[in-house]
Amino acid sequence: MLQEAQVAAGGVSGADLVQVAKFLAAGLCMGIGSLGPGIGIGNVVAHALDSTARQPEMRGPLFSTMIIGCAFVETTAIYALLVSIILLFVAK
Amino acid sequence: MREQLGKLLEHLGQKEVATWHIGGLAIQVDPKTIVLSGIASILVLVLALFLRRALRQPIEEKPNRTQGALDIAMDLLDSQLLGNFSSPGFGARMLPFIGTLFLYILASNWLSLLPGLEAPTADPNVTIGLALMVLVMSHYFLVRTKGLRGLGKEYFSPWWLSPIKILSELVARPLSHGFRLFGNVFAEFVLVTIFLAKLEPFVVPIGLRAIFGIGFGFIQAFVFTILTVAYINLAIEKH
Repeated sequence: MLQEAQVAAGGVSGADLVQVAKFLAAGLCMGIGSLGPGIGIGNVVAHALDSTARQPEMRGPLFSTMIIGCAFVETTAIYALLVSIILLFVAK
Repeated sequence: MREQLGKLLEHLGQKEVATWHIGGLAIQVDPKTIVLSGIASILVLVLALFLRRALRQPIEEKPNRTQGALDIAMDLLDSQLLGNFSSPGFGARMLPFIGTLFLYILASNWLSLLPGLEAPTADPNVTIGLALMVLVMSHYFLVRTKGLRGLGKEYFSPWWLSPIKILSELVARPLSHGFRLFGNVFAEFVLVTIFLAKLEPFVVPIGLRAIFGIGFGFIQAFVFTILTVAYINLAIEKH
């Protein structure tokens, strides 16, 4: 058992490990990086819905303001995507 | 299926790059992106020519169907996008720029619906270019409304904040603006391709195309344009 594991580990080179680390890091970066924006967009939409329910005549302006807010909240997820893309395709 | 996925991954990693030599400068371009954005521009042009032909009618007749549809579209554009400008009358002045930007991005996003074509906005160079254009426009209007003094005040008003301000407004803003569009279109492209390769292409791809292609394409074009409006509005706002 131990021997087999050692043989298997012997087949793994440093380049493979780098590859594994790149994929892991990119996945983790995207997953953790989109947690915050997810919560944030949930908050934005929830409050926009609240206000729309209270004042239905404000629907139009609230909608466009909500979209702008969503876009700003999304920015951190975009940065996470940027880092993931750099890790996957640019980093050697 | 495997081959398709392999091809997709290969495509993601590298682009077909051609090198043009213009006046001693070596410029690397992606011919596919250039052709695709040209097709998107031609689509917008065709729409304009069609509207010009369809709207040619005597003024005393009652409006035809195209006129009605265009009125609804213009009403939406006016209330949802141009209505966000704080100074009155500025929206009408910005209509050509904002409307063209919106139509071009919409045509680009919807290009992926046609078989054999891809959205040119799935290339970061296109979206970053658009974002840089918006950056230049917003600074132009900043100087137009507040003068060079206003530009200096914008960046150096508390001097110790200026590095952060320069970094966030000149670097991070166009980057996030462009990459937002690119990321969403690109993710849609990857998702649809993987689903098409994985699933039997009967019912599911149609729904996927409908939701991602038409719906998200429209929303992303809208978001890019409304952010443009917000940035230009921030530049011209008096405080």
